[in-house]
Amino acid sequence: MKNEKYRILLVDDDPMLCELLSEYLQEDGFDVASLNSGEEAIATLLSDEQFDAVVLDIMMPVTSGLDVLREVRSKRDIPILMLTGRGDDIDRILGLEMGADDYLGKPCNPRELVARIRAVLRRSQQQTETAPAASTVDLHGICLDSGARSVTVNGKSLVLTSAEFNALKLLMNSAGETLTKQDITEQVLNRKLEAYDRSMDVHISRIRQKLAAEGVSDVIKSIRGVGYQMLTDS
Amino acid sequence: MAFFPGFYKQAGSAVGFRRLFWRIFIAFWLGDLAIMFATGYTLIHNFESSQFSSRYKTDMERQANELIKFYEGGESLKSHKDVEKLIRGQDRSDNRGGRLQSMIIIDSSQQQIFRYRLNLNDKATFLELTVVSESGDSYQVLAQNPVIPRFFKQALNRFQTYQFVIILISAAVVSALLSWTIVRPLKQLGSYSRSYASDQSVEAMPDKLLNRGDELGDLATDIEFMVNQTDKTMNAQQQLLHDVSHELRAPLARLQASAALIEKKIPDNSYTDRIHNECGRIDQLIQQILNFSKLDKQREEKEQFDLVSLSRALIDNIQFEYPQRTISWQCNERSLLINGFPESLSQAIENIIRNACKYSPEDSDIDFSIVSAGNKVIVNIRDRGEGVSEGELMKLQQPFYRAGNKMHTQGFGLGLSIAQRAIQKHSGELKINNHADGGLIVTIELPS
Repeated sequence: MKNEKYRILLVDDDPMLCELLSEYLQEDGFDVASLNSGEEAIATLLSDEQFDAVVLDIMMPVTSGLDVLREVRSKRDIPILMLTGRGDDIDRILGLEMGADDYLGKPCNPRELVARIRAVLRRSQQQTETAPAASTVDLHGICLDSGARSVTVNGKSLVLTSAEFNALKLLMNSAGETLTKQDITEQVLNRKLEAYDRSMDVHISRIRQKLAAEGVSDVIKSIRGVGYQMLTDS
Repeated sequence: MAFFPGFYKQAGSAVGFRRLFWRIFIAFWLGDLAIMFATGYTLIHNFESSQFSSRYKTDMERQANELIKFYEGGESLKSHKDVEKLIRGQDRSDNRGGRLQSMIIIDSSQQQIFRYRLNLNDKATFLELTVVSESGDSYQVLAQNPVIPRFFKQALNRFQTYQFVIILISAAVVSALLSWTIVRPLKQLGSYSRSYASDQSVEAMPDKLLNRGDELGDLATDIEFMVNQTDKTMNAQQQLLHDVSHELRAPLARLQASAALIEKKIPDNSYTDRIHNECGRIDQLIQQILNFSKLDKQREEKEQFDLVSLSRALIDNIQFEYPQRTISWQCNERSLLINGFPESLSQAIENIIRNACKYSPEDSDIDFSIVSAGNKVIVNIRDRGEGVSEGELMKLQQPFYRAGNKMHTQGFGLGLSIAQRAIQKHSGELKINNHADGGLIVTIELPS
């Protein structure tokens, strides 16, 4: 991956931090642009400029990171990594529900930031690379097409974020098996499960809600103290 | 940070006679009665006595007149029984009930014609009358001075008993009303400040109290002012704490980024790792202070939630992080609904379980149980660690206190303070004790 130069957009209202992080990311071989306000971020992301991933701080005056996410997500399919104040659970969950690809507590070790960016990039790359190896899974009336990256429930199409899609795909491909939370996190988010880490639970509960809205419920079982399991057709 | 463990205790019993209500009531009632008795006494004494004397005199005269009439008509007055019969035979209009009065009648020739039960030893106490009969003779009548009956008898005579009861009751009603008008606003003030002390919610002081215009109204205004000032100060303090913590994060983030850059330029140095570790610790501390300040600041609405499923989910999550631990679950209830703040409470329980995991051997069990007892829900979390010395048990809930002087190990000593505060918000109680078989047992009691 290091051979290619990925373009990263860094959005944070602290210019000094942006400078330091840009320098660090450049050392790691990324091409970094940084912006200090949400308004600029929206304008830049909706312009013709191309980025491979966005690192977005939630706590920004006037236009917050969530506003940017809401604005951009509907129009651009670009991996977005949110930076949140650690423990601001509500921000975190909102970010995930609105389609952020992952989040990272701030302040963070830049090493961790690089790892997360790589994970997010790898995931978006997998999506494009694995496209030819198309396969469809059909279970409980849920039809998941990993080629087209689309899901239909009883014929109606279901809109999922990429993390949700990957989680559902993983569960459906291993229906009947119990997947640990660690494994799901590693495979879906391409990172390790952390203490106080509930992002996978949020993703799963969102999937459940979306399925239930289409009339399919109780197909993903929680295995207490272990993880989750997709029930087989019976 | 409001920290008033058991700050407000209801003083005294609500019905005891030491209460202001009863004191004022009894004082006024007794006062009313005393005034009424005094007035009554004066009136009755003067009025009744003079009336009584004059009536007595008339009665004496009338009886003497009758006796003289009998005497002049030739009847014998020797036998008292006959005389009594004679008197009774008359149409009675006096107040003596037809009873023969003690008297002596002497005719003009100084001859005693009638005598009934009267000693002539002490002339001073006699009432002397002169009666002129129909025939024109004049007689001297000696009778006893009137003995004025006791005041109480007179008073009873005057006020029939039911009147007296009415006076007692109306005096009581007036005193009760008076007492109530003083005690009621005091009670309102009490509940106002109590509600502030217990959940830091500033209610509007009732306008009726503020606009009374008397000293109690002034007191209400002052108390409202005080509560508002306190609230402002507390909010400012919390806001400051919140802002400072938030502001600390920006330089911390820059510090970490700088350390990471040094790491890039000078690889393999242990000092940058050290900086990262310490940054992580500061970040955790900020995190906990933020949580702590959030607890008092949050003015969330109460909602109903199931304590059993909330605890179950918490334990599942912690189990992920401590896979080698056995956290035993004991609960006979399917669900226990509680009206409160699920986020705060789940943080409280989580902190306690995490403490148990942190401060006990890695392979030891942790017991978690929920029991519903009467109108209480009791959550017990027991570990098998070293426990805490008796002297330190009380201090555990103080912010930044850590038992065993573990000042520089993990944790900041905020977890239990946060838990305590959250439980207090539910009007519950947090108790920490050493278990008889070793280890610490933390009990949460919540009203259900």
